[in-house]
Formats: sequence, C-alpha cells, structure tokens
Amino acid sequence: MTNKKKIIAMLLAGGQGSRLGVLTKTRAKPAVPYGGKYKIIDFPLSNCTNSGIDTVGVLTQYQPLELNSYISTGAPWDLDSNTGGVFILPPYLKAERGEWYSGTANAIYQNSFFIDKFDPDYVLVLSGDHIYKMDYNAMLKFHIKTEASATIAVIEVPIEDASRFGIMNTDKQSRIVDFEEKPAKPRSNLASMGVYIFNWPVLRAELSCDEEDPNSDHDFGKNIIPKMLSADMRLMAYRFTGYWKDVGTIGSLWEANMDLLDRPEEINLRDRNWRIYSRNPIKPAHYIADNARVVNSALTDGCNVCGHVEHSMLFNSVTVEKGAVVRDSILMPGVRVEAGARLNKCIVSFGTIIGKHVRAGADVEGECRYSNTRLCQDGITVFERGLKIRDGAVVPGNCMVEFLEPDEIVEAHFRV
Amino acid sequence: MFINAMGLILADHKRIQLGELSRPRALAAIPFAGRYRIIDFMLSNMVNSGITCVGVIAQQKYKSLMDHLGTGSSWDLDRKNQGLSLLPPYINSLNLESSDNDNLSGSLDFFRANRFRYVVIANSNVIFNATLNDYVSRHEESGADISVLYNRDGLKSGPPAVILGMDRKGSVKDVMINPQKPVSNRRSAGVVILSRELLIDLLNDNASRGDNDFSVESLLRRYMELRICGIEYKGTLLRINDIPTYFSSTMSLLEEKTRRELFWAGLPVYTKVKDEAPALYGPQNQVSNSFISDGCVINGTLADSMVFRGVTVSAHAKVTNSIVMQDVYISEGVELDHVILDKNCVIRPGIKLVGQKDFPVVIGKGAIV
Repeated sequence: MTNKKKIIAMLLAGGQGSRLGVLTKTRAKPAVPYGGKYKIIDFPLSNCTNSGIDTVGVLTQYQPLELNSYISTGAPWDLDSNTGGVFILPPYLKAERGEWYSGTANAIYQNSFFIDKFDPDYVLVLSGDHIYKMDYNAMLKFHIKTEASATIAVIEVPIEDASRFGIMNTDKQSRIVDFEEKPAKPRSNLASMGVYIFNWPVLRAELSCDEEDPNSDHDFGKNIIPKMLSADMRLMAYRFTGYWKDVGTIGSLWEANMDLLDRPEEINLRDRNWRIYSRNPIKPAHYIADNARVVNSALTDGCNVCGHVEHSMLFNSVTVEKGAVVRDSILMPGVRVEAGARLNKCIVSFGTIIGKHVRAGADVEGECRYSNTRLCQDGITVFERGLKIRDGAVVPGNCMVEFLEPDEIVEAHFRV
Repeated sequence: MFINAMGLILADHKRIQLGELSRPRALAAIPFAGRYRIIDFMLSNMVNSGITCVGVIAQQKYKSLMDHLGTGSSWDLDRKNQGLSLLPPYINSLNLESSDNDNLSGSLDFFRANRFRYVVIANSNVIFNATLNDYVSRHEESGADISVLYNRDGLKSGPPAVILGMDRKGSVKDVMINPQKPVSNRRSAGVVILSRELLIDLLNDNASRGDNDFSVESLLRRYMELRICGIEYKGTLLRINDIPTYFSSTMSLLEEKTRRELFWAGLPVYTKVKDEAPALYGPQNQVSNSFISDGCVINGTLADSMVFRGVTVSAHAKVTNSIVMQDVYISEGVELDHVILDKNCVIRPGIKLVGQKDFPVVIGKGAIV
C-alpha cells in the first residue's frame, strides 16, 4: 500500500441551509460568503491544511455548482497534491441502484470505498456550517492518547442556549456517558461542534450496521453516536475553547460578520501561523475617495468608496457612490450602492445594484410583499443576487427581496 | 485567442536604478500599486494576449523575483508545455570568475526550444494595460524586421529616454538616447516585436563578437541594417526610471483616468496571492483619496497615499502623499509626508519624516526608524 494515510477528512457540504433563504437559493450553505473574502467552507478547509491533513473528501448534494468551481483543484488551500488533495464526492449511481445521501452517516457510508483507498487509521468528519479555527491534529493526539473509539469536539455554550445543540454529558475524565440531541432540560453545557474523529474500522462497521436498520435516519447525532454509547464504546469529548459560530440563520450570519468588526481579536484572521485561505479575486487595491468616510468597517480589494460606510463588511469590488450611506450592512462582491441610497442592516448578495436614493433596512418602518419575519428578524433585510432595485424604492426591515416580477421595488433581474 | 508569439521580459535595465528600492531586488520585482510588482503588468499583458510561453531574463538580485513568480501559477503560466521560464545568467566553469556572465546561452536555448513565429521583448520599467495581439498583427502586415512601440512622451519623465526619428512611412531612421535636442517626441516604450529566427541570428551575431549585452536598445541600434518600424501606443503608459518617476507614477494612479485605464478597462492584472484578511478600519480614522490593500489596519489619518498589504497605521498617525509597502508598522503620532517606506519598516512613535515631491524620503527595506 503506497498511499496509506494516517487520517483523512470527510467534509459534509451537502446541506441546504434553508434558513438562509435567498442566500442559499443557488448555492449550498458551505458556499455562503462570509467575512469580506471567505466562504464558510474556507474555515474547515484551511483548518485541515494547517493541521497537516492533506486529503479531504467534500460531500456535495444540494446546489453543488458554486462549490465545485470554487474548490476546483484545491490549490488555494494547498490541497492540490499528488498523493492526496481535495476530492468532490457527489452521490452517484452504483451497479444495482443509486441513491441520494439520505443522512450524514449514509453519506460517509456511500463513500466507504473512497475512504478505503487511503486505508486510514482515523477519519475526521466535519461539517461546512461553522466559523472556527481549530487544530485537528491536537484533537487527533487527544483521541490517540485516550484510546477512544470516537472523539467528539465540544464547546461550552451558555446553559440557556444549550437546548439548541446536541449536548454531551461527560464524566470527570471527559468520557461521554450520555448524549442528548436538543434536550429540553440540558444537564450540561457541552455542545457538539459537529467535528468527529473515528477509528475507521470501528466507524466502517457501525455504518454498515446502521445501513441495515430501516428505522434509522442515518445521522451521526441521532443514530451512530447513541448506538456506540449504548454499546459501551469509549467515546471522548475533546474540549475546544475559542471562537465558534454556527451561521445557519440570517441573524447569526449577520452577527458573525459583525463579530469581525467588533471583536476582531477573537477569531483573529490576521494570525499568520493559522491563515484562512480563500480563492482571491483578481482586483486592484481598494480606493477611498476624497470626502468618503469609512468607520469600523472591513474592506477588500477592488472596492471603490465615495460615500459613507459605517460598521459594515464590504466584499471585493463593491462600489459605494457619493452621498450613499451604508450602515451595519454586508455587501457581497460586485454590489453597487448608487448615489444617495441609504442601507441599514442589509445583506446584499452578488452584483445587486441598489438604485439611487433607495432607502432600505432596519430604520424603515412598515411591510411589503417581501416581508419575511420567519427568516429575517431584528430588522435585517436581505437582497438576492443580481437584482436592480428601482431608484427611490423604499424597502422595510425584515425583508427577503428576491425576483418575482418587476414591481415598485425590483426593477429587473440579471445574471451575475 | 491564438497568438503565434512568445514573450521575453528583461528584468533589469542597466541604466535604471531606484536607490534603496532596487538595492535588494531586480527592477522587475519592485513593489508597485499596492499589491503588485512592476513585472505583473507586462506579464499580464502577455497572458491576456494569449501568450503561453514567457521568458524572464534576470541578471542579478533575482531571489525576490523568483519568490514572486514561483511556478507562474498566478499568471496561469504553470503549463505542461511552455509556460514561464526564468533565465538567470548561465554560469559555467569558464565564466565563473568573470563579471560578465554569459546571459545569452540560456536564452538562446529558450528561443530554439519554443517554436513560435514571433517574440515580443519588453523592458520591465513600462506599465500599461493592453493586449499585444493587434501590434503583432500590424508587425506581420508591415513586413518590417522589427517593430517598436512608442508614445509621444518625448523627454518627459526623465532619462533614459530613447527617442526615435522616423520617416513618413513609419520606419525608424534615427535612435537617440537622452538627446540634448530630440528629433521628435516619439519615445520608445521598450517593447519590440520581431521574428524568433531573426532574434536567434542577432543573438548569435552578438555572441560571436563577444557582446553579451542584450537589451531592447541594442536591437534598436541596428536601424541602419534592419527595417525597424514604429507603432504608436496611445493609451495610458507609465514609466519608472528613477525614484521621482516611481513616485509620480504611483501618485498618478490616484487620478481617475489612470486608475480606470490601468485597472478597470476589462483586462485583469494578475499577481501573487497573499491570503490577507480584509482591511480593517477603526473608529477614529480619516482616509481620503488613497489606495489601501488587504490586511491593513487603519486607525490614523491617510491622504493621497498608496498603502500596500498588511500595513498598520496607528491612531494619531498622519500619512500624506506617501507610499507605504507591505507589512510596514506606523506607530502612534507619526507624521509622514512624501515618504516611500519599503517593506517591513517600523516607524517608532512620534517620528516625523518629510520629503519633497521631487525628492521623496526613501526608507529601505526592514528599517526601524
């Protein structure tokens, strides 16, 4: 065996992230832009490469095109290697039958053959839903030292939030005694981060066994972990301290971006020993004009600011024209905010043009056809990619603006 | 886009020195415009024209150039066939001791091995953004031996100025370097097009005379024996000849027209990626008319300046009319006006440095002031 690996990573990137509304209409959740120049998936991928893991399978299912072209050869993360690298693993037809990934465990099960090719001792299972920097190698050392069958990374969360997570109850040696998925009355505040290390032979057997069970949801949290616990296997909790954020909702995505402005030291994207890599745009440095004002904000290459930007995150090639005011907002690549427009707590997706003197966001009262308080709260308004918002339009907070037909708000829709 | 031509960039120029800036590196590797090296522009022009085979002749101090170019992947020049070739001096046991290393042996092999019809040769001190396809076609149609790009800058932007005297048909009849009385305002842009076979002949001819000096100017000097035609370049073109022109070229990017033509005309300028985080602006900053790159932390005052990647401008610092290169740290209360800071400089609190437009203060790489 020439290509044996000690550990390989399997990254579950097939999730839809339906609570992100129009942001995940044409892309999977891990491809959602974050932090001015990243996508969510840059974090687990960079963690892998920084942890010395050179083989990563990325399991895709929902809207994979953007993710596929983004990851491509894996070169931005140094994962274009001869003996390993990054592999996109969509579901595929097999001899007798073919099927979609029916759960997180089933997705790994269907790729057992891929994993076996590398004959790994350990498999690291990751999700592409979280913003965090973590040394998986340290976790692996812990896993080996404690002779565990599986190790689950956990983080302390405020006890009042604990019922939103999968909660681990452990003994004094950090051995997991009990696992509860979203418990109504949590007994501990150690939440699973969705980061697992398994001994591959153990996991392989468990997955095969789970596959036979018609009542199983084929899910790690719901089925595999409880089953291993009931079989009295040695499952350890690996405590992680540091910044960790689920960005599954519009509110948490907005917050996670604002964290970079308010508490940049917490995730520290400037740490040169633990860089977060991404596919960089080919654009010149950004330009701040005379009379522009940029406060408490983050800007990226190619931006052109002539207006007022306050407490906002600007991705590459965003234009803010003269007299425009952008507050508490996230503007994705290529967005143009035209003269005199005012945005407050808006998330604007790729290439959308906010027309002249538009008023949008949290400080605009009222409702409109795009109001969507199920997904948008706290006044955050989201614009789909490639819209032209009519000059002078008024868009209240808590809206999810997408293209239905031209109306008094949306003038047109174009491909970006 | 198929173009039957290969590229050659001359990383050094005997007559061009940029003091502290060229002390640690070749001319082509001098940082420019926030996130680029000078060579990025010509290299991108070639790549945007569909040229897939580019040689870079480097004579000395080419470590930083090699770091920058790597395998050429940033320019899509990491090809199985052709791609990027760095051509350093060919040192063998015979010329090890001598100062004039054999620059041409390596290049000759490069031209023999890659069978394109034409070669575009460029100095690296000119900066413009355009494809070269049209000029190669015009060269082919004209039947000239050599075509040279020029513009009408005359003696503007200082020496070395190669002034071309041309007849009505566009043939070069006179070549003057830094003339007292220029015959015209046509000034060579340092870009020539000729057939690969002619180039090999000329190089062999040079070598047989023991002449190892290879430059665009040495080709132009053959205007008596060869038919050399001028082709005018009408777009924005910046020349970097010395520190003042480096400074004024940078500052001209702050003008909208120059900025638009060099960066936003539709042709990307490629460079090596650094994976810096977005630039962060603090609560107290004042920024106007400036370029700022990724990875910066801006808390002070900035006006009319070019700031490269990873620079920190602390609170109460004031930077005006300056060029601040990668990873410089500017402490609190510093005041800079007309200053060029090379990479990794640290300016201690309260320091004041003031230069003049024609004589900016230049602080060398890694200095602690």
